[in-house]
Amino acid sequence: MIELYHIWKQYQKPHWALSDVSLEINTGDFCFITGPSGSGKTTLLKIIFREILPTEGQILIDGVNILKIPDHKIYKLRRTMGIVFQDFRLLFHLSVFENVAIPLQVLGLPYKEIRRRVFNALRQVNLHNKMWDFPQRLSYGEQQRVAIARAIVNNPKILLADEPTGNLDPELAFEIMTIFKEINKQGATVIIGSHDRELIRHFGDKIFFLQKGKIIGREIKK
Amino acid sequence: MIFRQLWYLIKAAASNLWSFRGRNLISTLIIGFSFLVIGIFLALSNNLTHLGQQLSNNLAISFFLDKKLKPEELELIKARILASELVDQVTYVSSEDALRRFSQNFPELKDILDNLKTNPFPPAFEVKLKEKILNLSAIVHFMEHIKSLKGVVDFQFNQEWVEKMDSLSRIVKAVGFFLGGILILASFFIISNVVRLNVFARKNEIEILRLVGATNTFIRIPFLIEGFVLGLLGSLISLLILFLLIKIFPIYVGSTLGAARELFILRPLNLGQIIWLNAGGVVTGTLGSVTSVSRFLRI
Repeated sequence: MIELYHIWKQYQKPHWALSDVSLEINTGDFCFITGPSGSGKTTLLKIIFREILPTEGQILIDGVNILKIPDHKIYKLRRTMGIVFQDFRLLFHLSVFENVAIPLQVLGLPYKEIRRRVFNALRQVNLHNKMWDFPQRLSYGEQQRVAIARAIVNNPKILLADEPTGNLDPELAFEIMTIFKEINKQGATVIIGSHDRELIRHFGDKIFFLQKGKIIGREIKK
Repeated sequence: MIFRQLWYLIKAAASNLWSFRGRNLISTLIIGFSFLVIGIFLALSNNLTHLGQQLSNNLAISFFLDKKLKPEELELIKARILASELVDQVTYVSSEDALRRFSQNFPELKDILDNLKTNPFPPAFEVKLKEKILNLSAIVHFMEHIKSLKGVVDFQFNQEWVEKMDSLSRIVKAVGFFLGGILILASFFIISNVVRLNVFARKNEIEILRLVGATNTFIRIPFLIEGFVLGLLGSLISLLILFLLIKIFPIYVGSTLGAARELFILRPLNLGQIIWLNAGGVVTGTLGSVTSVSRFLRI
């Protein structure tokens, strides 16, 4: 369970990127954070995986206050999460296989195990036949699926995605969202930052509406 | 697991070295060039040290004697000369020996000698000083003392040369320390900036590694290995070019510089200098890499 209590974030005075945000996300939720550009979606996601620290407030993940974790132990938290970015952040000098394998190599797993898991993750996003290609030879949609495979290869408890369909046409976006839903069914808590109303309406179980850094509404379908 | 990770990191470093070979080649060449400049300076300074040693080894004083001295008087003077701790060896050169030597050394002046009715060369004691003694005031004091002895007419000593060499060697040392210091600082600055650019170009990779839960050590090690390899390769390249320069340089310098040519001979580095140069390359490459990568590792 992820709990955020009175989160404030200020990059530059006098503007607040987040103002008094409190929310609760249960294990296994498929949740959207939505709002117009500049509403604070990315900031909120960055705070959840502790890329940045809030100016004020507390965040508990499974009862642990992640703001109290010392910097040199943050890697342990990140190993329980998968992250997908709008700009994919793939390494173009590595093959699809090598890109997806990074989180497992960090763990020091044996090559056979890495190969098995990478293959499974790529099969899940239907890219196992392009395992040895290099990212620049893939389409946008395929690159995004590589980024998703990298995020799920480690069987994360929490999957965060920041505008994962921002660069894709509606058909591909729908396909990507179906993959996320599949991953959610396997037990991962999925949190997606998006402003695509159509997708949110179709897929969202729990939706938080952000505007100018404030939560202005919530919707729970279940 | 640690060995598996280490093996992975070594492979990652090797793959990065190859993937960014263009950029790495430039870094290596810059490191190589910086250390080449230091190497050339060291080779020149080796030569000056060698010249100084050679000169002090060849320091000799000639004490010219009265032609009418008796053998026991000669022995007495010789004993007084040998009593000095500056002296290594004393040789007696008779008037005939001196004449013979002169006619051998200057055969073109043979006619003049033939016209002389008497031998103009006085007998002399040639005194060779001990190696590496360049204490001028002690030498002058010794010469004055011997000259005051009965039967010693005059003396000859290349004092001017010794004084010049003495001050030249001091200047070279001072300039050497100054230039060497500046060069080492400049190369460190250049190298760490090149490595920083290298690391900056890969900040995306560092960020991804951080976000998938890599420890800072895990992120640092490939950069450390790469810095080590680039530094080592750079310094080895500088040694290779220096070796070629030492072989080729004398051919180009030729005889145009005349006697001054001796000052510009590059003398090979000794083992200690080679080790220091390599260690310098390795340390600069590794430190440059590690310090540059650290700024991307916050949180």
